[in-house]
Amino acid sequence: MNKPPVPEDVSRAADIKAHLEDVSVKLSRTATWSGIETKNSYGPADVEGMDYARDLGEPGEYPYTRGSFPEMYRSRMWTLRNIVGYGAPEDTREGIENALKLGTAGINIVLDTLSQEAVDPDHPAFSPDAGQEGCSLPTVRDLEVLLSGIDVTRTGVAWHTTMMIYPLVVAMAKKQGRDLSKLLGSHMPDHLQLRLSVGNEITVPTVLGHRTTVDCLEYSSRHTPRWSLGCPQAYNLRERGVPASGEIALGMAIVKLTLRDLAARGVGVDQVAPSMAWVSGSDIDFFEEVAKFRALRRIWARTMKEQFGSQDARSQRLRIACHTSGRALVYPQPLNNLARATVQTLAALLGGVQSLETCTYDEPICIPTEAARELATRTQQILANEVGAARTADPLGGSYYVESLTNQVEADALGLLDRIEAIGLIKAIEDGTIEGLMDDYNYQFKKEMDRGERIVVGVNKFIPKPEPSPKRFSFDPKGMVAHMERFRALKLERDQTLLKDKIGQLYRVARSGENAHPAMIDALIADASIGEVWGTVRVASGLSYDPFRVVESPFAYPEI
Amino acid sequence: MAQEKIRCLLAMLGTDVHSKGIRTLAQLLRDRGVEVVYLGEHNTADGVINALIAEDADVLGLSYSTATYLHYTHDLLDKMRKAGVADVPVMLGGLIHADDEPALREMGVKGIFGPGSGMDQIAAFLQDVTGKSLTGDASSST
Repeated sequence: MNKPPVPEDVSRAADIKAHLEDVSVKLSRTATWSGIETKNSYGPADVEGMDYARDLGEPGEYPYTRGSFPEMYRSRMWTLRNIVGYGAPEDTREGIENALKLGTAGINIVLDTLSQEAVDPDHPAFSPDAGQEGCSLPTVRDLEVLLSGIDVTRTGVAWHTTMMIYPLVVAMAKKQGRDLSKLLGSHMPDHLQLRLSVGNEITVPTVLGHRTTVDCLEYSSRHTPRWSLGCPQAYNLRERGVPASGEIALGMAIVKLTLRDLAARGVGVDQVAPSMAWVSGSDIDFFEEVAKFRALRRIWARTMKEQFGSQDARSQRLRIACHTSGRALVYPQPLNNLARATVQTLAALLGGVQSLETCTYDEPICIPTEAARELATRTQQILANEVGAARTADPLGGSYYVESLTNQVEADALGLLDRIEAIGLIKAIEDGTIEGLMDDYNYQFKKEMDRGERIVVGVNKFIPKPEPSPKRFSFDPKGMVAHMERFRALKLERDQTLLKDKIGQLYRVARSGENAHPAMIDALIADASIGEVWGTVRVASGLSYDPFRVVESPFAYPEI
Repeated sequence: MAQEKIRCLLAMLGTDVHSKGIRTLAQLLRDRGVEVVYLGEHNTADGVINALIAEDADVLGLSYSTATYLHYTHDLLDKMRKAGVADVPVMLGGLIHADDEPALREMGVKGIFGPGSGMDQIAAFLQDVTGKSLTGDASSST
């Protein structure tokens, strides 16, 4: 006869049942991470009507769906990027030298939040942020310290920032007497993206921001043709909250408006598009990301050729600069992020990107530690050397599922692009339509997590036991102290007459509506700071000198 | 008689642009019947305090994803005391490192909702510190 189970046994049996349920690997979702519903399987009927030459083409052939170059990674490997930036220019310089020792190709620099928004490091309200999330770089003098001994017409530096860096680099090159037509490097001059990801009209006004993008691209296409323009900066838009198709739609809306405005200034598509590269993310849904890169290249090629009349293949074949998604990485059990970043990195490679940064596993915790940076580098080396990710172009091309998904992402992207253009991009940004889309995407994302329709390991399922807090990156603040003293001293010691003259000229040019870049560059050569230059452009545009209305302009502007 | 709603001011200080979390929180709190005023990004301490007074908020919530939150929070609480609004409870969210929690509590922060915190915890906190109850949709339950 069975005895009734004692309560302890009942509870242990329940524990075992719960554990079995918890560790099982289940299909928890049949839609892609962006929400495209997926069928049980795919076959010829799902790609019916596709024409190989028209819709795919060989790698390196229009419409470049299968890749921008015929031999892809056999002719040129992707560029392994490791972005560095913290503290004073001297601190970042040290970080760059360490990253180069690990196998990073080239120099990739991120600026602190103040420099990213053209605010000086001595701003009374925000000074604590100086040097915290990137390098503090308010003047040409600081750039000279950061790039000491480096000839910017021989070594290209990739700048992961939008505002002011291009005029700073050109100013330094001019000051050093370099030939601008040979200037190498890249940055991300997409101010509309910045407007949307920074989140307000105060910091980056839509109209002034967009005009500055057009100014920058016009100046660069005329004077520094070898400089690369990371425009659109669609990575930040994606991270802020849009699906894979939304990344394409928003990025294309920005590119098309910019190209139309450049054409009105006499800069044709084939003068500027060959220098442009798409800054993209790679999220966690492997197949969807591969499909996104493929759909993106096809949309880009057709837009350039059919809508802008491009006749140069270099304008039509898109180069993609990819950073794996930081948003997809989570705080609990941070080492799990190594698995996430590996899959994201593989998706980017099979999607055929030209440069690639793998997010470090400690991204949700702090700016990258050296140990985490090394693991991110090793991840790419393993994929390149052991996994065979570089062996052949577009290895997933021809898969019924991947082709069908590519078509679906493309159709969704073109649909959203039409809706944005029907409103008008500038209006859709200014009236909050696009931010509303992003907020809604994030809200629905959270609701799906709450309902268990979207599982993130360690966050809403398989939650780990409490563990010791992860180690954080830290650096000696003494470099920043010296940097701040140097900045204050420079403001006192510079040639005040020359400075006032150049600032006055900048004000006149910016008021006239002409391209402000030449005058911005001249003011920077005269040791104006980024905050002073941008503040003057703001005043000339009828805005406050300081977006936050804390600092008054130190300059008396001429009456016009 | 109609129950008085909890009024919550949400804001970001400094130059941190990681606003997805706090914007989503604003909507989730509204779903639960909280009156939320989202002040936006890039606020100064003075700007937040002025809004706190103007909006007559019961609670202030701040989100940080960058490393300078100890400084900004300390500065804000100091200025709140000087402005005579130190009685408004302050809660923090975002990437708050566990090692910093004691220092934040010491400063006077009442609620800390770092990685892994859920809506129910935040809702319970709001009811606890305001003495008002929430009547909205509580279907989201992480």
